[in-house]
Amino acid sequence: MNYFLLKQKGLFDTSQTPPRSQKVRRILTNPMFGFILFGVIMIVVGFLAKNKIVIPYSWGSALSLTLSYAIASVGFCLLMGYSGLASLGTGGFIGIGTYSAYYVMNAWGLPFILALALCVTVAIICGMIVGFISLRIEGIYLAILTLGLSEILRFVFQAVKDSISLSSFNLFGVIQISRTNAIYLVAVMFVIIMIITNNIINSPTGRAMLAMKNSTAAAQAMGISLMKYRLLAFVICTVYAALAGTLLMISVGYAKATDAMGFYAMITSLNILAAVVIGGAKSIWGTLVGTFIMYGLQRTLLNQVQFFIDNPVVITFISGILVVLVVMFYPGGLAQLAKELVGKIKKLISKIKAAKYGKDV
Amino acid sequence: MAKMFDKIFSRNKEVAVTKTRQKLMWYKGDLDRLDDEENTRKAGFVTRLQVRSNGKIKNAAFAACDKERYIDDVNTEKLKKFDIKLYMSYRAVNHATYKRLFALKAGKAKEKYNTEDSIWAAHFAALDEVKKKRADYIAKLDGVKKAFLDKYAATDKAAAESAYDAQKLALTAEHDAKIAEYDKKRAAWKEKRKKSLEEKIEKYTAKLDGLLQEVSADRATLPDDTVLSVSGLKMYFGGLKAVDDLTFDVKKGEIFGLIGPNGAGKTTVFNCITRFYNATGGDMLFCNKAGETVDLRRFKVHDVILQGISRTFQNVELVREISVIENLLVASTREIRSNLAVQALGLPVVKREEDILKARAMKILDFMGIATYANWLAMGLPYGILKKIEIARALMADATLIILDEPAAGLNDSETAELSLLIKRIRDEFGVTILLVEHDMKLVMSICDRICAISFGRMLGIGTPAEIQANKAVQEAYLGVDDASGAESEADEKTDGAEEEGEKK
Amino acid sequence: MAFFLNTIFGSLVSICITVLVTLAITLIFKTSYTTNFAQGVISAFGAFMAATLINKAGVSIWLSVPVGILLATAVAVFIDMVIFRRGRYVNAIGKQIITMGLMSIIIGAIPLVFSITKLERIEFPTFLSDVYTFNIGGGEVAITANAIVCVAITAVIVTAIFVLLKYSKWGLSVRATASNEFVAGMMGINTHIVTAISWGLAGALGALAACMYAGQTPLTSTFMTDYQVNAFLAGILGGFGSFYGPIIAAVIIPLANNLMMWIGGVANAPDLTTWTRVIVYGLILVVIFFKPNGLFGKRTAKKV
Repeated sequence: MNYFLLKQKGLFDTSQTPPRSQKVRRILTNPMFGFILFGVIMIVVGFLAKNKIVIPYSWGSALSLTLSYAIASVGFCLLMGYSGLASLGTGGFIGIGTYSAYYVMNAWGLPFILALALCVTVAIICGMIVGFISLRIEGIYLAILTLGLSEILRFVFQAVKDSISLSSFNLFGVIQISRTNAIYLVAVMFVIIMIITNNIINSPTGRAMLAMKNSTAAAQAMGISLMKYRLLAFVICTVYAALAGTLLMISVGYAKATDAMGFYAMITSLNILAAVVIGGAKSIWGTLVGTFIMYGLQRTLLNQVQFFIDNPVVITFISGILVVLVVMFYPGGLAQLAKELVGKIKKLISKIKAAKYGKDV
Repeated sequence: MAKMFDKIFSRNKEVAVTKTRQKLMWYKGDLDRLDDEENTRKAGFVTRLQVRSNGKIKNAAFAACDKERYIDDVNTEKLKKFDIKLYMSYRAVNHATYKRLFALKAGKAKEKYNTEDSIWAAHFAALDEVKKKRADYIAKLDGVKKAFLDKYAATDKAAAESAYDAQKLALTAEHDAKIAEYDKKRAAWKEKRKKSLEEKIEKYTAKLDGLLQEVSADRATLPDDTVLSVSGLKMYFGGLKAVDDLTFDVKKGEIFGLIGPNGAGKTTVFNCITRFYNATGGDMLFCNKAGETVDLRRFKVHDVILQGISRTFQNVELVREISVIENLLVASTREIRSNLAVQALGLPVVKREEDILKARAMKILDFMGIATYANWLAMGLPYGILKKIEIARALMADATLIILDEPAAGLNDSETAELSLLIKRIRDEFGVTILLVEHDMKLVMSICDRICAISFGRMLGIGTPAEIQANKAVQEAYLGVDDASGAESEADEKTDGAEEEGEKK
Repeated sequence: MAFFLNTIFGSLVSICITVLVTLAITLIFKTSYTTNFAQGVISAFGAFMAATLINKAGVSIWLSVPVGILLATAVAVFIDMVIFRRGRYVNAIGKQIITMGLMSIIIGAIPLVFSITKLERIEFPTFLSDVYTFNIGGGEVAITANAIVCVAITAVIVTAIFVLLKYSKWGLSVRATASNEFVAGMMGINTHIVTAISWGLAGALGALAACMYAGQTPLTSTFMTDYQVNAFLAGILGGFGSFYGPIIAAVIIPLANNLMMWIGGVANAPDLTTWTRVIVYGLILVVIFFKPNGLFGKRTAKKV
């Protein structure tokens, strides 16, 4: 309203500044807004689940588990989708996070932030080691080698302390975080990670990584140092996995190194790989959906059906079939499927419009 | 993080010189742009202040304004929006009528619309309805206007105006005071910034001088007009001598061609110059962007571009998943100042920096005549365009020597003709030197200033196109022992060259 | 000396298992260009079949193991024919993920097919239970009959496969397919049959290995994972370029593990035994870092 008014008799002429509606639209279309909205929704769902309003109690821990794994997946997405490198060491790197969480917060009784610092430091070192290896060895060989590295880490964990646990801790003296309300912390961390990853993907670094993935020769000729960016990709992936480990420790509460289906086993690395491939290796949201299918679906939705509670192995069976089908028929993953669907819907809308108003709309 | 990596892993003095010079250039640029940036920042501040003041005075202004004009303005604007909606209704009516008429012609009309008259009757009825809708809306707006005027009929206009004026005076004064305060604050900041920049420039100048002194001892010198000097280049793969004792000079601003039958080792020479292969022996001296002579053998592959050599590839090596303009930006990765942390946080600096580079990329795309594709994905574009994008990417690196590896491979005749013009224009416009490998003799003979012909890694001859055409050894390598009837036939038979070689042996 | 021999004899069975699994993985890597993560579970599938026959129907181990092997072969061939053949043009990582999906499918299928509840412990006998002891150098050395049987079977099978690879027409086609599948197909080799046979052989070898291992440890659907990882590492340690390289590496790895244990015992350092595998794996990684093509692989020139 004041827009018209000030044209007549305002103090200053500010007609050059964009109107408020445009500003709002700019905020809404910003990818950051989507991430933050998602985080807020997760926190609300966690709150409802904790107080058993509408949403079942078990959803809180299930979602915090999924989001924790999703952090590792997002890092892997950066590694595989953008840098074209493969790694099967996620399991071991997750272990770095769980053990720093255990030692710093449970054994030594120090604050959370130090646990993060420790896990990031160790993860950077590990990532650099793998990065150096990747300069000499490539492809499937590299994947197997990282698998070996992950196994080494697992043996180290077994030798150091087989089973560890963490009940609850105080976050910045403000809130007591335990398994039941870990989703708050996890959601906040996840949103931060999403935003950072999105920025990196759309920055010159992301482009350099893509160039490296497409052709190492062309990338080098354009001044992109393979060493720098490979190391960077592995460091980021490893740090994310370690952060995921810390959060997993908080949201699950215990971990056992000798467990064949545990955090550090080969199956975790493979599941993260599958999650990224199912979701679409170049899409953050797709990766999130993929991780949800691998980890969250069973714990939230399917557990509402009695049949699946009686036969938990059926879900493993079905997820395997799903993975095979997606890889064989939708190499671009669910992100590609979603894109195609949106394209089809747009086409349909324009068709309906053409039928009503004639063409040229 | 990125800086740390750089620190750990580049101990090369020559690279350090280039990097220091780059930093020096950045800081000098900062100093130059300081005033401009301050002005833009101030303009933004003033606009924000104005918007806020306008918001504050909003109520007073409304009380003092001419109510009739105000409501008229509002209503006109509303009617405009309504008309836009109504336009779609008109279209729907017209389209329905057309459809009915066509159905009638085809004999598939519904019972209701089985004569033309009935269709037109329905059409006009529908149009009347739409018109009535508009009339209704105008009547409604009139009602709103009347109510609005009635509501404010009793207010005292003079009092409102004086109140408005008083507030206006107060706000203007406040406004000016705030701007003055801002100026004061920024002036101090600017002084500080200027000082720190000057200090940095001083520091890096000193560093650069020191480094230059260190490296100048083992630097050779090239004649003024030479850009690249290759002497005695050898590249052996095990027992295979891909390049053997090759010597040539490239002069500043010329188009230099490297020709030879298949497997002659042309691309190997390129790969040696751009450091993909570590040459077995020989020297490669290059006059870099700063006008100094450097030994290319001291650089790694990814550092060569900073010296001013950029190249294209035989088969197009673009990033398919990103847009054309972003592909160009890949070439300027080394010119990005913001480090990984800044990029990860998505600070506005990154975008500002990219905008400058994007403007440069747009200029280059415009020059190449492919600006329309700037925001297309590189994935589905035709081959000719992709080739051009690759050349554009090489230009984007701000190089002094551009190496083109078979630029005409896979292009048709008209595209090749266009390309030859383009290469000449690039040389003239950007002032670069061009070194190219090509199979298409027509292209090579028409654009090159000088040509070096090689076969099985050995040089056959060097000189102007005419000299090369007259050279016996070259003719033998290409065509066998008999004479050649000009460039035309050479171009035709060039594909058979290698096979003939084989038969002769 | 006796202690040393005991360590060597103690590791015989695990050497046999690693060799068999490595051979299986190498066969598939060579013909289908992928690391088969489902190898372990396919083998476990066969072992479960044998265990069911032994425990529920009371069939002798000498009869039930071949049945298990046959089943695993059938499953492997089925996987190749129905799934892998159709996904032939999926990229390398895609193939790996397909095998990973297959792994999930079989892990899910085993309890359904053999109707096993989660807490059930499945017993599996060894081939022979006798232990022979004799005196060497003042100490008592023991070797189990089971180990002798395992070594004998493995030696026969590995020799047979190597002879086949070297001298038979099938071996030639496998080597041709391994070198370049497309060209091999153009040269008139039926690559479908080659890959199917390789998968079948891999399944059989894996199931045999699983039956050997099942006598030593509780049977679960993922119990072969450790050996599978060992086999992968043996593959790149020896170099997937040849067939014999991985096999030699497969002998070295478990031997090194046990030697490490032996050194730990001699040096009286119990810590060393807990860190054995860390050290061995670490050494493997270091070796691979300096010889990226494996101990027996050839260097290939890179082309720009």
